[in-house]
Amino acid sequence: MNTAETQVKAVNKPAAKTKTKRKWKRWAIHLFPIPALIIYGLFIVYPILAAFTYSLFDWNGLVRGAFVGLENFKALFSLQPYKDLFWNAFQHNILYFVVQMIVQNGLAFVLAFIIYKKIKGAEFFKIAFFMPRLLSIIVVGFLWKLILNPNFGALNVILGKFGLENLQKAWLGDPDTALMAIILVNSWFGLGFAVLIFLAGIQSIPHELIEAATLDGAKGWKMMSKIIIPLMMPAITIITVLTFIQSFEAFELVYAMQGSQGEPYHSTDTLAIYFYRLAFGGTSGGGSSAIGLGSALAVVLFLFISVFTAILLYFMRKKEVEM
Amino acid sequence: MKENIWTRPLYYVIAFLVASISLYPLFLMIMSSFKPSNEIFMNPLSLPKSFSLEPYRNLIEQVPFMTYFYNSVVVSVTAVLLILICGSLAAFYIARYTFWWNNALFFFFLMGMMIPIKLGIVPLFILMKDLGLTNSLWSLIFIYTATGIPLSILILTGFFRTMPVELEEAARIDGATDLRILWNVLLPLMRPALGTVMIINFIQAWNDFFFPLIFISNEMKKTIPVGMLSLFGEYSADWGALFAGLTLSSLPMMILFFIASKQFMEGLTAGAIK
Amino acid sequence: MAKITKAWMIGLLAFILILTGCSSDTDGSVEGETENNEENGDTVTLEVGSWRTEDTAKYEKLFEAFNEKHPDIQLEFKPSKNTEYNTILNTALQSGEGPDIMQLRPYAAGAELADAGYLEPIEDLEGLDTFPDSSLMAAQGSDGTQYGVPLNMSTTQMFYNKKIFDELGLEEPQTYEEFIELNETFKSEGYTPLAMGTKEGWLMSLMHGIVGPAHYGANEFVEQIENGETDFVSDEYVASIEAMEQLKDYFPDNSEGLGMEDIRTLFFTEQAAMFPLGSWEIEVLKEMNPDLELDFFPMPSAVGKEPTITTWVDGSYAINANSEHKEEAKKFLEWMTTEEFGQMFTEEFSMVSAVPGVESDNQLVSDLAQAADEISTPYLILVHFAKGNPSSKAELETELQGMYLGEQTPEGVAEAVQKSAEGYYEPFQN
Repeated sequence: MNTAETQVKAVNKPAAKTKTKRKWKRWAIHLFPIPALIIYGLFIVYPILAAFTYSLFDWNGLVRGAFVGLENFKALFSLQPYKDLFWNAFQHNILYFVVQMIVQNGLAFVLAFIIYKKIKGAEFFKIAFFMPRLLSIIVVGFLWKLILNPNFGALNVILGKFGLENLQKAWLGDPDTALMAIILVNSWFGLGFAVLIFLAGIQSIPHELIEAATLDGAKGWKMMSKIIIPLMMPAITIITVLTFIQSFEAFELVYAMQGSQGEPYHSTDTLAIYFYRLAFGGTSGGGSSAIGLGSALAVVLFLFISVFTAILLYFMRKKEVEM
Repeated sequence: MKENIWTRPLYYVIAFLVASISLYPLFLMIMSSFKPSNEIFMNPLSLPKSFSLEPYRNLIEQVPFMTYFYNSVVVSVTAVLLILICGSLAAFYIARYTFWWNNALFFFFLMGMMIPIKLGIVPLFILMKDLGLTNSLWSLIFIYTATGIPLSILILTGFFRTMPVELEEAARIDGATDLRILWNVLLPLMRPALGTVMIINFIQAWNDFFFPLIFISNEMKKTIPVGMLSLFGEYSADWGALFAGLTLSSLPMMILFFIASKQFMEGLTAGAIK
Repeated sequence: MAKITKAWMIGLLAFILILTGCSSDTDGSVEGETENNEENGDTVTLEVGSWRTEDTAKYEKLFEAFNEKHPDIQLEFKPSKNTEYNTILNTALQSGEGPDIMQLRPYAAGAELADAGYLEPIEDLEGLDTFPDSSLMAAQGSDGTQYGVPLNMSTTQMFYNKKIFDELGLEEPQTYEEFIELNETFKSEGYTPLAMGTKEGWLMSLMHGIVGPAHYGANEFVEQIENGETDFVSDEYVASIEAMEQLKDYFPDNSEGLGMEDIRTLFFTEQAAMFPLGSWEIEVLKEMNPDLELDFFPMPSAVGKEPTITTWVDGSYAINANSEHKEEAKKFLEWMTTEEFGQMFTEEFSMVSAVPGVESDNQLVSDLAQAADEISTPYLILVHFAKGNPSSKAELETELQGMYLGEQTPEGVAEAVQKSAEGYYEPFQN
């Protein structure tokens, strides 16, 4: 609309041309987020907002019942078994986050650094680390169930070969190890992605900076803590925020490996699995859905994640600026 | 930096160990695809007794694999391109300008990752129905674009921030528009990040089976993962055909990843200054 | 830089190509559909939804036979993965869509759809009276209105490997003590007595469905439960849970880590002698090991009652209340009540038809059908107690798992089930 006008003016008054154009240019920048906003708003925000209102209704089964205000939220935190299930799952999510940070991201950082140091076959290693991420979660779940199988799985076979029979376990059937096994599989799955992000982070550090620091005599740990880590803060922020969100949304892998009941005996239950059970009922026809309660749980989960992500971002951004 | 003589070998040991753990299950998948179903369970870890192509034959007979493949390609490629376009435009805006609402906007996009979208499946289905998109590949393209935008904005915003402002200022003095700066100056420097966004969204779109299950009932519009799911029965599955299908469907992604990693993600340190 | 621009150009080109390809493709299909409808103006195509992806070829045969009788009605089988079936179906129904005819989960789950008004009542459907009330009950709304025609009976019982029995000179047990002795013998002979694992909860309630009636006294107890005269914390029921605990001795090693595929493998590779599972396994086992000599025995009672096998209606077919072709759909449902259909179904599917008195040429299926007629007891926890969230069935499964892991007592299991059921089960509320 404006372009035609601009053109006309441009022909008539060469002097005004630059001014209008600059105005247009300044205004045009606001068009940049529009396509993303439209698609995201229509297909994510709208359905989710609609679904959030479900949490205010008594809604068991398929037909919406009466408006109950905040009753569902109250039930979630005061009624049994909902109360216990919530805190049980919540603890599992926290463990999920902590282990992912240490194992997946810690290891990924080391590996990114190793690749950055231009070892031979760096290209191959990068691809190898990332390969698991290419698989569908269903396959990941099935393959690891085979590997962790207590009677013929590779892990127990290998332990047996090294004479470590007493370490052999029914990894996924034992409540003490099942959750940890799943988190580690998740780390295996997500490792390559974290490596890529860290690598992109290291690689975007201008080479001159590292050279200059080397000339100044920085090396080893000092180089790491004073130059590399601060300059990689954006990448670290991305990975931390992402790991946090994904840990508290952990669903697909748990579902693929242990089903929707958090088996065995609620030892692998996560908030998202619990949400799924509430909102959609059991998987094979047993149990009605409790959409009202499920939505309430989703709202709580959302509030929790968004508040903590905001705090996380605030502090990490501050670090980015400080450097 | 001077290195201890043990440092390099240690690098190799770590990299090699992790790589073998990363690749072993893949190897297992490919091996299993040459086994008939009962052998998968009787000798899950051994090499196939004979390399039987039976599973692949069963697969091709049972499902129109090429149709699924075509649909998957169309959906994933289109969604990824839309994500890259929408994502980099929005991330550029958020990272390079300091309007007072930018932080809020950034966070607004991030929120998309914090909610189980499954919750909104009924309103979403009705929306798709009203737009006439059920049983159309566009329903999948739009939903994958929408679900991919938050992560892409998170990653791209982070990397836009690391770009030195000087680069941009020089271009601005030459009178370049924002679009030109984005396209000619910044994006080429962000190849690793763009490559990562591309590949991660491609995988997401390629492997997802939830949305096509809900939106697509027409056999000719199904994507590979949904097609594969029809091989899962209630109490049993044709695991041989399933592994064959999964191996076949993972191949294009491995190739794509290989190309992407060569094209986009190789070391930038040399190229950046050119 | 030049390299990058080129890559982008190629990408853009591909994008445009795909967009055009994509849109023309969508157009094509829309035209295709309307064409199809107009071409044969009087032919109606009905979509049939189901969770049985593995039965596609078999259904196509059934539908062909139906089409011969009714040339103006075409049926199209559209199954989806069973674990996602409920979500897919519910989403579609809640949006006013969905298949014309759909396979209905039995009992509470089906009643939920009916109560929500998504199903067409079929009270006056011709042929419904061939089914006994106990079967019809699986496809009713909570007010007792009929919405579906029962398709098949599932049965659970103890399968066994005849070869291993013969090798050790053993016979089917006539009393519960003999059953326990059998287990001891297998154990001492180096066989796994029972192929069972506790990793997947649904196997727990399934096995309790087989073993439980032998201890709580089968149908008499069920009747008392229905009348509110007894409950789950009664001695009888607790005894049935305790019996489950005893059987752990006869499970394979590492049973806490074994799931469905694992225990099936133990059985078809002839490492395990007995396999407490459902009738659908007959087909799968035959495919995995064609030489397996498979047979079953009903569970002998520990409390002096008749031996039983456990049955329930596994699925029914119902009509979408929003369908445009209800009359045609009813014709199909009517056909489902005929002996002809039952016969074809049993032969094609190797399953027990819900139509009574149908014989199968598969000896095992035929025997099961006969047993289902004569000595059956309902799968109690599914028939009446698959309700609530979490459902009482899910509670039983989880708590039994806890018991096998040593974190729950049999009394605790019974209490959890009772507490859950009290939330909705009317006979318990007085």
